[in-house]
Amino acid sequence: MIQVNGKPMAWSEGMTVASMLKEKNYIFAKIVVKINGVFVPVDKYESTSIHDGDDVKAIHMLAGG
Amino acid sequence: MKLMTQDEITALKEKKVCVVGCGGLGGYIIEMLSRLGVGNITAIDGDVFDETNLNRQLLSEEALIGSSKAEAAKSRIQKVNSEVEVFAKAVFLREDNAVALVAGHDVVVDALDNISTRRILEKACSISEIPLIHGAIAGWYGQVTTIMPGSGVFSKLYPETAEKGIETELGNPAFTPALVASIQVSETLKLLIKKGEPLIGRLLTLNLLDHEYQIFEY
Repeated sequence: MIQVNGKPMAWSEGMTVASMLKEKNYIFAKIVVKINGVFVPVDKYESTSIHDGDDVKAIHMLAGG
Repeated sequence: MKLMTQDEITALKEKKVCVVGCGGLGGYIIEMLSRLGVGNITAIDGDVFDETNLNRQLLSEEALIGSSKAEAAKSRIQKVNSEVEVFAKAVFLREDNAVALVAGHDVVVDALDNISTRRILEKACSISEIPLIHGAIAGWYGQVTTIMPGSGVFSKLYPETAEKGIETELGNPAFTPALVASIQVSETLKLLIKKGEPLIGRLLTLNLLDHEYQIFEY
């Protein structure tokens, strides 16, 4: 089990940031992802693993006014 | 009225709040600050209205297309509450004018629409030791946080090279600016009269599409 934005989500073997975002249906490109407080750059989404127990934050990047 | 004591209402008349950006967020923020009775409001925006503003920007009108947003704010508030002194600054905030523009205010409110100017504003507020109330919107989504001087929040919220967010894909509807502006004004009031628990070190995120409202500590 992992936490995504404070809510539990089932963890699976081989889970990456990219697969998690797809599973959560977070479709927008402009999103800020942190795992256990560490920022993950967009070009590392495919290669960055999410481990069981991780605390993931995935926040849409907003800048409009 | 138990929201504020008479002393607090009187004190608000002496307060100075600077609103940077007079568009979607800024229009509502300035309106609410003046109706609350904040005595001095500086409205900063170098932009003029165009027809794409009409769907959400309170200060925009068909007849004002091509007119200064900052001047429109002043004109509007003179009709709403003539006791409020509005200082219209029809300029864009830049590195070379930011500190001078924010100096002397009790609170600064971020109603900007891009990340690079936000970084300049945060730095100027830090130098001037003034709290900054950040708000941003995109489509169904919004966020608010209260930034104390020296805390360097935007480097945590936004990747280094980012300039715009998902508002470029989603656009901005009529309702999100009003909601986020309301929360920014309540944060401003809390700082001005020293009440409640401001969103210091915490980012409130609002997702109206799925009704997810969360607070992230950073």
